[in-house]
Amino acid sequence: MTGAAEADLPAREAAGLRKLKPDRPRIAVGLATCGAAMGGDRVYRRFQEIIGAGGDDIMLTKTGCIGYCREEPQVNITIPGRPLVILHRVDADDVEEIVTAVRAGEVPYEMALCRVPSWDHVTGTTVEYGGGFDRIPLYQDVRFFSHQKKVVLRNAGFINPEDIDEYIAVGGYAAAKTALTEMEPDAVVAEVERSGLRGRGGAGFPTGLKWRITRKAPGDEKYIICNADEGDPGAYMNRNEMESDPHMLIEGMIIGAYAIGAREGLIYLRAEYPLAIRRLELAIAQARTCGLLGERIFGTGFDFEIRIVTGAGAFVCGESTALIASIEGRTGRPHPRPPRLTDIGGGLWKKPTDLNNVETWCNVPVIIQNGGDWYARIGTEKNTGTKVFSLVGKVDRVGLVEVPLGTSLNTIVFDIGNGGSQGKKVKAVQTGGPSGGCIPVRLFDTPVDYENLNRVGSIMGSGGIVVMDEETNMVDIARYFVNFATGESCGKCVPCREGLKHTLLLLNKIMAGKGTEKDLDTLGLLADTIQKTSLCGLGQLAPNPVLTTLAYFREEYGALVKK
Amino acid sequence: MTHEEIGLSGTPKKSVTIVIDGRKCRADEGEIVLSAALREGAAIPHLCYEASLDPYGACRLCMVEVCHNGKTSMVTACTLHATEGLEIRTDTPEIVKYRNVLFELYLAEAPKSDVIKEMAARYGVTRTRFLKKIDTDDPLGGSCVLCGLCVRVCNEIMGAGAIGFVNRGPYTVVGTPFFEANTDCIGCGACANVCPTHAIRIEDRDGERVMHSWGGGRVRLAQCGVCGKYYAPGALTAATLARLLPPLRDDLAGLCPACRAKRIADEEIRVNMRGGADHHVRPRRS
Repeated sequence: MTGAAEADLPAREAAGLRKLKPDRPRIAVGLATCGAAMGGDRVYRRFQEIIGAGGDDIMLTKTGCIGYCREEPQVNITIPGRPLVILHRVDADDVEEIVTAVRAGEVPYEMALCRVPSWDHVTGTTVEYGGGFDRIPLYQDVRFFSHQKKVVLRNAGFINPEDIDEYIAVGGYAAAKTALTEMEPDAVVAEVERSGLRGRGGAGFPTGLKWRITRKAPGDEKYIICNADEGDPGAYMNRNEMESDPHMLIEGMIIGAYAIGAREGLIYLRAEYPLAIRRLELAIAQARTCGLLGERIFGTGFDFEIRIVTGAGAFVCGESTALIASIEGRTGRPHPRPPRLTDIGGGLWKKPTDLNNVETWCNVPVIIQNGGDWYARIGTEKNTGTKVFSLVGKVDRVGLVEVPLGTSLNTIVFDIGNGGSQGKKVKAVQTGGPSGGCIPVRLFDTPVDYENLNRVGSIMGSGGIVVMDEETNMVDIARYFVNFATGESCGKCVPCREGLKHTLLLLNKIMAGKGTEKDLDTLGLLADTIQKTSLCGLGQLAPNPVLTTLAYFREEYGALVKK
Repeated sequence: MTHEEIGLSGTPKKSVTIVIDGRKCRADEGEIVLSAALREGAAIPHLCYEASLDPYGACRLCMVEVCHNGKTSMVTACTLHATEGLEIRTDTPEIVKYRNVLFELYLAEAPKSDVIKEMAARYGVTRTRFLKKIDTDDPLGGSCVLCGLCVRVCNEIMGAGAIGFVNRGPYTVVGTPFFEANTDCIGCGACANVCPTHAIRIEDRDGERVMHSWGGGRVRLAQCGVCGKYYAPGALTAATLARLLPPLRDDLAGLCPACRAKRIADEEIRVNMRGGADHHVRPRRS
């Protein structure tokens, strides 16, 4: 059989650049789920009506999300020779004014958040937009952005996620080409090892090592899987990564499959992310058309296909063995390891399988493009690279932030997030979702990395940071997360199934003012038992909110129990 | 399953030494440690382990402390495989502490189960601090601990798949689809046999087996052609007979175990008196 046509990257790159910097004004509406939820789709429809009525002098398109959720809906304006201007909090009623200004070669200053004269897409491509509009603040002077370092989110909010040409124009698929045509698979693995990249799903296992183990596992048939079952309350990093830049994930998986020796990749994607599913399906189809998926990719002997498998609404299916069971059509319940996924008999259809989180895969192209050493210089010695966090809860500037690992909670919550919303005092943050712990403000000098978060009783998790202020009752917070975990427990092992239920009952009793000091002791012992004896990570980590609030906010429990 | 996997490959398994509570014991390499420890008389409680089923690790009662390179960790003995020099402890203060809490959880989950009460009492736990689950309509009589043995034996051994887990988390129960009588059930009763807390109620009456715990499903019992007794579910008998060769199958069809034994004995006596060979063992050549 003859292979697909070799990908014509230069032609696509040129086409993409013409779309990013057209010879007429470009208006791009931020249309990830968050933007649409805030009214972005209404704004987009209004633009369609108004621009459509006046001819095709303006190019209207979509982008993903730049991460500043508080300021949605956002609209990017690119006038030839001028900087890209990001408008914020745009309403459908503002559209007419915007179009009138743009047709006059201007932008409405009062709606402008910032301007971007040039944007570094990190992979060696810098898009120069132009000068002018000096009254609008520069991107790097906006405090929400100034402490961030965009690596994974380098394209998010700038390119159209539904157009492969724009991804290629900003350096996309160059890393895949380099890996497949110039590097041996072992060299690719070595480069990832050199980068120090660790699993972004939360456990922090060295990615290169996992790849090497899977590569060395016996057998010709192997699988790679992307875990996109992001389900922590308040966490949506992966959603935005897939909605704003789906090709980055696909490229990472192509490189990983080549390095590991897999011919098939799966994306286990939760059904609650319909837009991510749609954009990834589109991106996979585009990549296939361009010969980037399928047979003989880049004219090499390497064949690779990606298929999406949607979940059915179970949080526990993010656990690796339950995820495999779910893909195979069985009930999503974890089973004891070993065998590990990377072992023969432990993975998908009993074949050795490499499972990585969305963000882990997204880090791969830039590592290959810029080198493992370049990547290892970001962050700290044992925690390299950047991490995307969703900064939510009672914080002033809500949004997705990307910072080098090792950045302190102070920087994230106060410098980037500007402290509590409505000027209230911040009391604590909860990191790592329902499995994480609550960290009090006095420990906010803690650098955010895998080990230091464990040291204070929490975890990195997938990257949710929920901020609590002075009005938050910490017992109620523990109750909220235990309630979530109880509902999501698969029910297989007794500490998680029964233990969490009784933890919730005790917390309800305490919240109702009917608890006693003795109940607090029982609560602590029960949480400890669940942590030590549960079968899988869900149960082992679910008591963290209770254990940390008991340790750091015991007085709040004390105030609620009968004396 | 291949012969290799079930240990019939002809090569004897390598024997290893494991240490249980300071005592050296022999075990087959790769053997489930719980199985070896029970053979050696160690007192390890367990509810979800059954040698003929795949390791499951759900009841968490068989947790032991493993010492490896000077570091200790707690693991379930039913999912742990024997390796040379493996050292486990079954009664450290830590194990006892957590095991007692688990017993308290079981006492609250299955307050009607005498088996659980007796087992917990053997380890010194006689009361629970947790709210007891009271469900007067429970077809499993407040005795199910969701060890999964019935579901697994129905699926893995019998291949019937008549029962399964319904719901999740604390709402998990075992039942047939929609809790109705399930025609996939062949009435074998393996579920009731394997249940550690005797929670599953099955009754034979009027020529039928009634699955009280499984939606009241009814399976016709086969009647012995000789003595007239109802002896086993018809579907199970048919499935079992299908595995036999024709002469034996035809001879045994429609007989209860007692009449079967009598029929075979009579036949043996008749054949031996004539000095012939047992045709049941060596099929006749056609």
